[in-house]
Amino acid sequence: MTLTLQRKICVLGGFSVGKTSLVRRYVESIFSETYLTTVGVKIDKKTVELGDRIVHLILWDVAGEDDISSLRMSYLRGSAGYLLVADGTRPSTLEVALSIRQRVEAEFGALPFSLLLNKHDLKEQWAIGDAEFEALRQKGWWVRSSSARTGENVEDAFTDLAARVAG
Amino acid sequence: MSTSAATTLEWLLRPSSSEAGIDRETLAGLLVELARSVEPEAVVEPIDVRPVDPRLEQLRTLLVGQEIEVLARLRTVVEDPEQLAEAVGRVLPTAIASSDARLGQVLAPALEKATQRSIRNDPRTLINILHPLIVPAIRKSIGEAIDNTFQSLNESLKHSLTWHGLKWRLEAWRTGKSFAEVVLKHTLVYQVEHVFLIHQRTGLLIAHVAAEDAASQDPLLVSSMLSAIQDFVKDSFKGADQQGVDTLRLGDFRLWCEAGPFAMLVAVIRGNPPEDLHEKLRDVLTRIHTDRRQALESFDGNSADFADVEAHLSECAALRQRSSRSRKGFPWLAALLGLALLAGAGVLGFKWWQQEQIRAAQARVWAAEQLVWTEYVDKLRAQPGIVVTQSVASNGMFEVAGLRDPLAADPQRLLRDAGVDPKRVTSHWQPYISLDPQFVLERIRATLDPPKAVTLAIGGDNILATGTASHAWLQRARSVAQTLPAGGPALDLSAVQDLGEGPLIKLRDEIEAKEIHFEVNGSLPAAGQDAVLDQLAAELKELAATSAAMRVGTRVTLTGHSDDTGPGTLNLSLSLARAGAVLALLKKRGVDTAPISLHGAGPLDPLEAGVTDAARLANRRVSLSVTLDGQP
Repeated sequence: MTLTLQRKICVLGGFSVGKTSLVRRYVESIFSETYLTTVGVKIDKKTVELGDRIVHLILWDVAGEDDISSLRMSYLRGSAGYLLVADGTRPSTLEVALSIRQRVEAEFGALPFSLLLNKHDLKEQWAIGDAEFEALRQKGWWVRSSSARTGENVEDAFTDLAARVAG
Repeated sequence: MSTSAATTLEWLLRPSSSEAGIDRETLAGLLVELARSVEPEAVVEPIDVRPVDPRLEQLRTLLVGQEIEVLARLRTVVEDPEQLAEAVGRVLPTAIASSDARLGQVLAPALEKATQRSIRNDPRTLINILHPLIVPAIRKSIGEAIDNTFQSLNESLKHSLTWHGLKWRLEAWRTGKSFAEVVLKHTLVYQVEHVFLIHQRTGLLIAHVAAEDAASQDPLLVSSMLSAIQDFVKDSFKGADQQGVDTLRLGDFRLWCEAGPFAMLVAVIRGNPPEDLHEKLRDVLTRIHTDRRQALESFDGNSADFADVEAHLSECAALRQRSSRSRKGFPWLAALLGLALLAGAGVLGFKWWQQEQIRAAQARVWAAEQLVWTEYVDKLRAQPGIVVTQSVASNGMFEVAGLRDPLAADPQRLLRDAGVDPKRVTSHWQPYISLDPQFVLERIRATLDPPKAVTLAIGGDNILATGTASHAWLQRARSVAQTLPAGGPALDLSAVQDLGEGPLIKLRDEIEAKEIHFEVNGSLPAAGQDAVLDQLAAELKELAATSAAMRVGTRVTLTGHSDDTGPGTLNLSLSLARAGAVLALLKKRGVDTAPISLHGAGPLDPLEAGVTDAARLANRRVSLSVTLDGQP
């Protein structure tokens, strides 16, 4: 018998790092993107099959802010993990993502997360060096470059995170 | 033997005296005892036992040194109350958590007693603890009760006079229920279409039940969004209490949320549900919490083991009130009563309407009048020399008060111009002197009566006088200038030319020194007077030109004189004729005669008194006098 699980996952990251387009093409959605500007969050669902288990990741796409102090932390309550998204062509967004991670950790303790350096299809504008990338991996984090356009590593990110949060 | 065994036990139980080292005598006794138990016949007495032997001490340290150290550490912990408390505190929670029900049974009476005592001593503590929990619950409950009452009152009123209203009354009487209850039963048509049980902390769906024919989107997403909206409302409106959204209404749909400690029950209801449905939903939620408290608290996204909860939710989803199929009766009774009421109300209403119309018209007129009044007061305020200190419009009357310079515009005239009925206006004006340059100028004009040759005008903040004036006028003007109030406009006389010092005075003196002589009875100048006349004409022309240039008015009087011979009337006409003759001769010489007047003095103003021929010759003459404007 297959076991069906639900997990709450927050999608976090700075302004216009491509979070919303990342989830738009790979998830089930019934709410329009105007929810992001009105309620500040949009709920989507990503279903991942892990052997005999089906995990419904309930994705809380929290409105992107570069000023992380205005991030509504209450939306993170009860999250099993989170997906951090940064724009690989703008190193400042990586800093925002890292400070969001710190803030989440301070408030909710260590939670499983995946870090996606998005917009990898824009190769000529790519601004994250291999050394920097390796340094992030050295911390034991799940870090990948991704692209909403080509789908690079997007499914992997969801599957891997699902496996970690489903325990 | 038994005695010895007891001694041994006593020794073992004796508190250690590590400071004193090992009691060698007792040890020797012990060894003898052991020897006896092996060999009962042996008679050995310990002899010559040295009280202390350091070797034994060394042996002990070698054998059990570590244990001694551990014991010492434990002893410090046990004997120091602070350390002991800390150590017990570390293990107590685990002990309590892992203990079975016995601990609870043991603790309960003590806790109960302590609580009772605490409440007896100061009930406020408990009140303060319970207040934030109980008050919102009471408030909500009262609110719902009131809503319920209003709802039933509304529906009862709506239906009390219809035909089926009568039928329902009958039903109420038959069944012993209240009329309001029966009305609600028949009128509130609703159906609970969906029931969601949502985990509070994660917003994940625990269970969902939909009515048979209800359609909806993915309940997993809907439940999370509902919980996001709850968070959004709590975050955004801090003033609102922490209960979050209670009711959402969208057209025909209502979302009723009941929040429990771990789970939230959301019912999606179509139609018009009775307020006591809240109570039913809350009951179900309470039951779920009671049954599955542990499971709800530790819910981790696996809803498989909540199948039994769905039974509870189905109970909610089955809640509905279908519309009664009974034909809508025409409310005859109500219609009749209504007609009668309408007729009465119509008459009253028309009268009321008429009065209202009149009142409204009056109000409109009054509003227009007030507007006119405001305009008038504004105009008053704009007037120089008028200071409005108070203006009131009430009960159809107007009142204005303030200060007014007597030279300022007349408020009554302004009132007429504005179109306000003067009878309805009370004015209180206090006179005052304005320092407005316009008024200062007018006041100076009235006081000084300036000659034509002097122009007074406002120049900057001051009054400027220009032109020509007599010395006397200038002096008067200077003294007036000195009395003007300090700080107000000053009178600047520096540009006025003093007549007493000018060329006109010289000309005047020259003209007045001339005389034209006549023969006895002659009305024409005597021979040899032409030269005098020529010169006089020249001087008069110069006088006219100079005075015109200086803008000084001049008047010249020709006075004819006669001697004292002959009758008086003849002399008078002769003297006037002589003046006329000179005038004609001057005119002939091109003199403008307009400012020249004639005067006959007869013999009354002789140049020389006496009756000699010489004196008479001197008296037969025409003399001239020149008056310059501005001269006294």
